[in-house]
Amino acid sequence: MIDAILESPYIDSLPTLFEGLKMTLLITISGLFLGFILGGIVGLGRLSNSKILRGLSTVYVEIVRGTPILAQVLFIYYGLTEDLIGISINALTAAIVAITINAAAYIAEIVRGAVYSIEKGQQEAGRSLGLTERQTMRYIIWPQAFKRMIPPLGNQFVISLKDTSLFSVIAVAEVLYMGKQYYNVTFEIFETLVMVCVLYLVITIPTSVYLRHLERKLDV
Amino acid sequence: MIEIKDLHKSFGDLEVLSGINAKINQKEVVCVIGPSGSGKSTLLRCLNLLEDVTSGQVLIDGVDLTDPATNINELRTNVGMVFQHFNLFPHKTVLENITLAPQKVKGLSFNEAKESALPLLDKVGLADKANAYPESLSGGQKQRVAIARALAMNPNIMLFDEPTSALDPELVGEVLQVMKDLAKEGMTMVVVTHEMGFAREVGDRVIFMDEGIIQEEGNPEQIFQDPQNSRTQSFLSKIL
Ligand SMILES: Nc1ncnc2c1ncn2[C@@H]1O[C@H](COP(=O)(O)OP(=O)(O)OP(=O)(O)O)[C@@H](O)[C@H]1O
Ligand SMILES: [Mg+2]
Repeated sequence: MIDAILESPYIDSLPTLFEGLKMTLLITISGLFLGFILGGIVGLGRLSNSKILRGLSTVYVEIVRGTPILAQVLFIYYGLTEDLIGISINALTAAIVAITINAAAYIAEIVRGAVYSIEKGQQEAGRSLGLTERQTMRYIIWPQAFKRMIPPLGNQFVISLKDTSLFSVIAVAEVLYMGKQYYNVTFEIFETLVMVCVLYLVITIPTSVYLRHLERKLDV
Repeated sequence: MIEIKDLHKSFGDLEVLSGINAKINQKEVVCVIGPSGSGKSTLLRCLNLLEDVTSGQVLIDGVDLTDPATNINELRTNVGMVFQHFNLFPHKTVLENITLAPQKVKGLSFNEAKESALPLLDKVGLADKANAYPESLSGGQKQRVAIARALAMNPNIMLFDEPTSALDPELVGEVLQVMKDLAKEGMTMVVVTHEMGFAREVGDRVIFMDEGIIQEEGNPEQIFQDPQNSRTQSFLSKIL
């Protein structure tokens, strides 16, 4: 019995898929990290008093959110680099850039939404005490807004993680791509795809459960 | 001390204040009453520029708030405000709520700010709650913290916008008591309120507002016993 499972086509695919999973996580985590920085900047732009900054960041958010990530990565990989700048970047870089750009647009909206969700009375209380707008943001609004950003950011992690599977089209060796390579040799398509999904779920389900717990704990 | 000259305030096409003229003297307690939507909150919020003024002037100790050259943050330290919904900072303890502005605006150290905050907490009867978070307090306690927080900036004027309207009836008294004590100490106060008992007992003057103008004003006795304006009469007959 144990032998049957260990020898099964399900288990056999795992070493190959694990290689892919490492790549998937590498892209997701570095893309989200950079996306958080860029998204923070764009989010600040969305909240800015300057019309120009607000306009630019809105255009960015609308363009990125209004186009499919698959088109974006093809554009970055083939279109932008080769046609426009004349240099080619490797597929992994293109993938990380795509996640960064994409996550940044959504994170910018998370930042903006979290700040807007803080009751207006908080701002008013701060200002009525003589704090400047900047001080009010820093000491009163941001600390509360950060807390509210955590659950949607976790959600964004799950979304970006799944988005990386699209990068198999540019031959990034992430988990779905590795699965395809594997079943092209073994022809165990069903078993391999089951395991690919299992690997995603092993990450996404605990993340969601933890997020729900966190949401309750943070009371947001 | 406060001088309001032909104050107009519009939100878009909606004119909410249509020419307010009033003077509030030092140590005076002025209660503002009037029906919902008459512009009471808006008037109060124009006194510390939480709303910008459409036209007219607000002078505080001779300084014109509507002059762009006026340092509005400095002016606000002199005008404390207490809100209907308390607006305490939920991520900060009671003590931190009170000491934040003295540290950041006046540049006091935490210990200096704490030293002046503790007597204030004592004054509002919450010395034992210094390290509690707002969510653990009752409405009445929250409002008393909010009063202490405003007082920590050492204002000469205190503005109250329906400070007891959000409270359970049994908690109203403790907040009004703190306000009475303040009045007794000679604080200049402008209080928007539905507490006619308070207006009668503590108010030096009552202003009745409707439709964005002051319809009638006078000492509490006059307004409550012998209102002249028909709007005042009908308003009072509804609520008394
Ligand atoms: N920020 C705003 N934008 C648009 N309209 C506003 C705004 N603030 C107040 N108003 C309008 O101005 C009018 C007066 O409002 P205000 O809050 O001053 O009334 P109030 O006398 O305080 O009433 P209440 O007793 O209900 O608190 C209302 O019609 C209200 O809808
Ligand atoms: Mg009001």
